[in-house]
Amino acid sequence: MNTSAQSRRTFLAGAAAVGATALTSGCVASSSSGGKGSSGGAVTLQSNLSAPQAKSAMQEVVDAFNKRGGAKGSLNTVASETFRTQLPTYLTSATPPDLYTWYPGSVAESYARKNLLLDVSDIWAEPELAGYSDALKKLCTDSAGKKVFVPTTYYWWGVFYRKSNFAKWGVKEPKTWDEFLDLCDKLKSKGVAPIGLGAGGGTPWVASSWFDYLNIRINGAKYHRDLLAGKHRFDDPEVRKVFDRWSEALPFFDPNSTALPFQDATTGLLQGRTGMMLIGTFFADAAPKDQLDDIDFFRFPVIDPKVPLAEEAPTDGYFASARTGRKDETKEMLRYLATAEAQEIYLKGSSGTSLPAHPDAKDSGTPLVVKGRKLIENAADITQFFNRDSSDALAPTADTALTHFLSKPKEIGSILTTWQRDAQKIWSQ
Amino acid sequence: MAVLTAPRKETRRRTEGRPPARKRATRVPPVVLAFVLVPLLAEAFWVFWPALQGFYLAFTQWDGVSAPQFIGLGNFREMFGDAVFRTAALDTVIWLLLFGGLSAALGLGAALLLQQERRGVGFYRAALFLPVVFSLVATALVWQAMYQPDGLINKTLEAVGLSGLTHAWLADQDTALYAVIVPALWRQIGYVMVLYLAGLKGIDPVLYEAAKVDGATRWQQFRHITLPQLSSVNAVVISVIVIDSLRSFDVVWALTRGGPYHSSELLSTYMYSTAFQSLRLGYGSALAVVIFVLAFGVIASYLVRAFREADA
Repeated sequence: MNTSAQSRRTFLAGAAAVGATALTSGCVASSSSGGKGSSGGAVTLQSNLSAPQAKSAMQEVVDAFNKRGGAKGSLNTVASETFRTQLPTYLTSATPPDLYTWYPGSVAESYARKNLLLDVSDIWAEPELAGYSDALKKLCTDSAGKKVFVPTTYYWWGVFYRKSNFAKWGVKEPKTWDEFLDLCDKLKSKGVAPIGLGAGGGTPWVASSWFDYLNIRINGAKYHRDLLAGKHRFDDPEVRKVFDRWSEALPFFDPNSTALPFQDATTGLLQGRTGMMLIGTFFADAAPKDQLDDIDFFRFPVIDPKVPLAEEAPTDGYFASARTGRKDETKEMLRYLATAEAQEIYLKGSSGTSLPAHPDAKDSGTPLVVKGRKLIENAADITQFFNRDSSDALAPTADTALTHFLSKPKEIGSILTTWQRDAQKIWSQ
Repeated sequence: MAVLTAPRKETRRRTEGRPPARKRATRVPPVVLAFVLVPLLAEAFWVFWPALQGFYLAFTQWDGVSAPQFIGLGNFREMFGDAVFRTAALDTVIWLLLFGGLSAALGLGAALLLQQERRGVGFYRAALFLPVVFSLVATALVWQAMYQPDGLINKTLEAVGLSGLTHAWLADQDTALYAVIVPALWRQIGYVMVLYLAGLKGIDPVLYEAAKVDGATRWQQFRHITLPQLSSVNAVVISVIVIDSLRSFDVVWALTRGGPYHSSELLSTYMYSTAFQSLRLGYGSALAVVIFVLAFGVIASYLVRAFREADA
């Protein structure tokens, strides 16, 4: 009897202790307290590059890193959308993945400000990164002056088309907005949907490219960045001008613009159902390699000759969690990823349409890539992309506003008011 | 609730005549206590505690990274002026009525049609139940392909000369919500059918024979025998449907993500996109609290009434 009472008391005390631990460890506020990831073992590289070619190319890079001795890495590929929504959770967890594929600039800055990113200033002094351009150095430095990012590749956005189709239709690359509208007219008269988009089925963000380009061509790159940082309003007359121009091109958009994801829109372009498409070179990761030689692009047309010509050239690379328990190993891997060798392995394995960040790394050298490199090198300014120049949280407000505009262009007044209101909620957080 | 009360009487009858075992019953052996407390603690840690945190977060502003800031009823006040919340609430009601009503009606219809043992009836039952086996996300992907502008539905419409009706079903705000309900219904009907089939099997055939002898028509048999006999199954079906309606998320998210521009937004998808896409976890938690209160309110009030009617 006594023993049983004793054991019950012991059990209850134990249970209470377990309960108390559970309660304290599950506390909401614990997310802001520091934690240390596990030490030892392979560096976990969390990647959002889930297109088949990009994924296998990433694996080749990790394999090459593991082969050279020293620290080891393991690749964990997560679907892009899941990765994006889970990123704050990864970074704030007590045992986070060590290394992440992601973007520099304002997106990285928002995490760096909260001390979630590993300070990698020391590896920027290493030879692997010494030759990187000043623009990249600036892009990878946070507002406190620490380097928090290692860039590996960048790519460009342009209006892509098939050379054989343009030849068949007897049309040429346009330079100005008027020439562009004329080209659209010609293509439409031939029964082709002139402009493909692909803002449906989970990729509504593609529509932001049109907003970005029209805004940097009409109001300039500085205004664009300021607008995305909350220094201007989305219902300003300057923004209205963007949509006035967009309305001129709207009749030439594929009627299925908001019904198809960009991958299907790419197929439409390759099969000649649409004439051209404003897209980043990543679309080639999903395109058959034998068709890449027939693909060409032109610069988004000039609208106001007084506005310096900026281009969208998003940079990709890696940042690491400040809470990693494998600081040295993670930095070792970052140093490897910054080498020309690692970047060439990636470019060879993927579609090869990106450009390496390392000045000595060879790109794939195709005419398309040579033209793309020239486009970026001659640009007066470089922007990243809507979500990268603003934040992951602001991007959904653009998706809603822009897909709404594509279907109901006449409601632009109320669309912009709503967009401003939604954006304000994000900025005021 | 006759089904529930019957075994209770039986148990009472069985225990009659036994010596009173009160003393022994009050002393709970530690093992039994452990079997109760350990799962309770696990449940408390994995379910109750996060749920309570959700309630707390509903009163905060939180971006998921910094520490949450307490703002009192601010999130709930914001809901009053939030047009998207109103759209989501209205769509949830439409969803509840259409998805709920049609799946109950069509599930019952299918059960009535397939209740008699005939040759090949098993095949039809299996065929109707088959969609329940598939995950909703896989179901949604199949339907997404069918709804594509050049998908099966539009192709079929063109083939039968109805090309005027072809549509970007999921990309048009007028059709998106209804287009999303169809796959959800397609899946739910088989489930409801099975519940009703079980209910129909439980009806004593003597009742129908007696009714036939009395000259009752088929409709009278259905109205006065089948429906009242199915009342206990109805309680289960309605509870399942209401819960399923309010937690419907996967099929909508996989097909439209609540779009285009919120036209197929349910409270659940709005909660998800606010919390995890716009990273406004405080407001998202407040929406989750509203969904919880609605689900709990509807189910509790219905069940209380159903049980009261059954007892009366």
